[in-house]
Amino acid sequence: MKAVIFNGAKEDDPAIKAIEKTIADQLTKEKWEVEPLELRDMNIANCTGCFGCWVKTPGTCVIDDEGRETTRKAFQSDLLVWLSPVTFGGYSSELKKALDRIIPILLPYFQIYHGQIHHEMRYKKYPKLLVIGVQEPGENYEETFMALAERNMLNFRPPTHAACVFQRGKKPETIPAFVKEQLKKMEVVS
Amino acid sequence: MSQPRNVLLLIGSPRITGSNSYVIGKFLVDKLGEKGLVSEEEFATRLVNTREGTERLLKSVDNADVIVLATPLYVDSFPSPTIKAMELIYEHRKTMLPTKQQLLVTIINSGFPEKEHMDIAIKIIRNFAQASNFMWGGGIRVGWGMALNSKPLNEKGGMTRKLTRGLSLASHDLSTGQPISEEAEELASTLFIPLFLAKTMTRLFGKRGWNKLAKENNVKAKMYDRPYDLNRQEKGTESALRGKSETQNKADTQIDQGNWRKT
Repeated sequence: MKAVIFNGAKEDDPAIKAIEKTIADQLTKEKWEVEPLELRDMNIANCTGCFGCWVKTPGTCVIDDEGRETTRKAFQSDLLVWLSPVTFGGYSSELKKALDRIIPILLPYFQIYHGQIHHEMRYKKYPKLLVIGVQEPGENYEETFMALAERNMLNFRPPTHAACVFQRGKKPETIPAFVKEQLKKMEVVS
Repeated sequence: MSQPRNVLLLIGSPRITGSNSYVIGKFLVDKLGEKGLVSEEEFATRLVNTREGTERLLKSVDNADVIVLATPLYVDSFPSPTIKAMELIYEHRKTMLPTKQQLLVTIINSGFPEKEHMDIAIKIIRNFAQASNFMWGGGIRVGWGMALNSKPLNEKGGMTRKLTRGLSLASHDLSTGQPISEEAEELASTLFIPLFLAKTMTRLFGKRGWNKLAKENNVKAKMYDRPYDLNRQEKGTESALRGKSETQNKADTQIDQGNWRKT
């Protein structure tokens, strides 16, 4: 089994790095192969909104850079983790530049899902999805962040998903228990 | 708030002037121009990745009395450069003592007809406004972008009547230094046809539109390709392996819809 971690830290971020490392350690113990991707160090161009991934090269972004690879790796994993500083209740620009490039895994066509128009799914099976935000002390964006993650689930429809927020400033020794709780929700550790 | 003099139109779309964000934002800013405000246009995509661009962005923001952030909805929030602009503006302002009141208003547009798709995005921008010491000027949610097709709003006739009336009302409020009224927000955010009809038309004409574009690029037969399908990669090319018609693939997709399990 393979896990891919999208690390959306904007800069060197000890809390996000510690969560990433703990996820990798706990999954490796369970014989998982884990690939963390430090998005800010990668050559990922911004989506240009050209829709070429739907009507020129269906299923593949027309931009040939590491953004294409992150999408492939993400889709071909069994567990995808999005890690981000909570940014006004949303994701960081670093995480979002990779997520904007992921839309070729959907079809352009529309369908009704949960009563609203959404895109049709291109594939039959998608990876499990875990979303973790790291929030500054004193910020209160958890509700918005969780609601955003929940909206994403309607669009990507993972077989299992969870979203949570870790409060920055908590003692580092609380991270293993926090991570284990999330991985249990994903049914990937016992 | 005193009478505003300067308005900044900040476009979040990577499609720059060929975007719905631009034509909607431009309409509002032109209305403000008619009321005597001096306008400036900037594009997040062009500014956020260089030091010079960042300085220019921050200077424009500092100079404005009203900021109109017009952006598309991308994956339930905004394109990455829009978020980057918000991060830069916040970092710049978080330790600044405000020298004047500045209104921040947003216009979000989406291809989906339901405005509720944009609710979370509005909350994120509102959080940003509060954290960055802007006065919240309101949020307009424009659904069904395919109907606008990035054409100037006054060329679209009755299709944009509610939107343009709502934006005109909004311009009156903003020109007096007030947040836009709920009436203006709602009017500008209302489709010109009933929602059920827009949803039906989205499914029917949306598909035709995508297929037309695919046909122009000679890829209509590949629209359902699955280039990252692991099984397919192990066996060979898509067309040889899939062994299924487009119709069958579509049927697979539909069958799968109800099978996703959530925790």
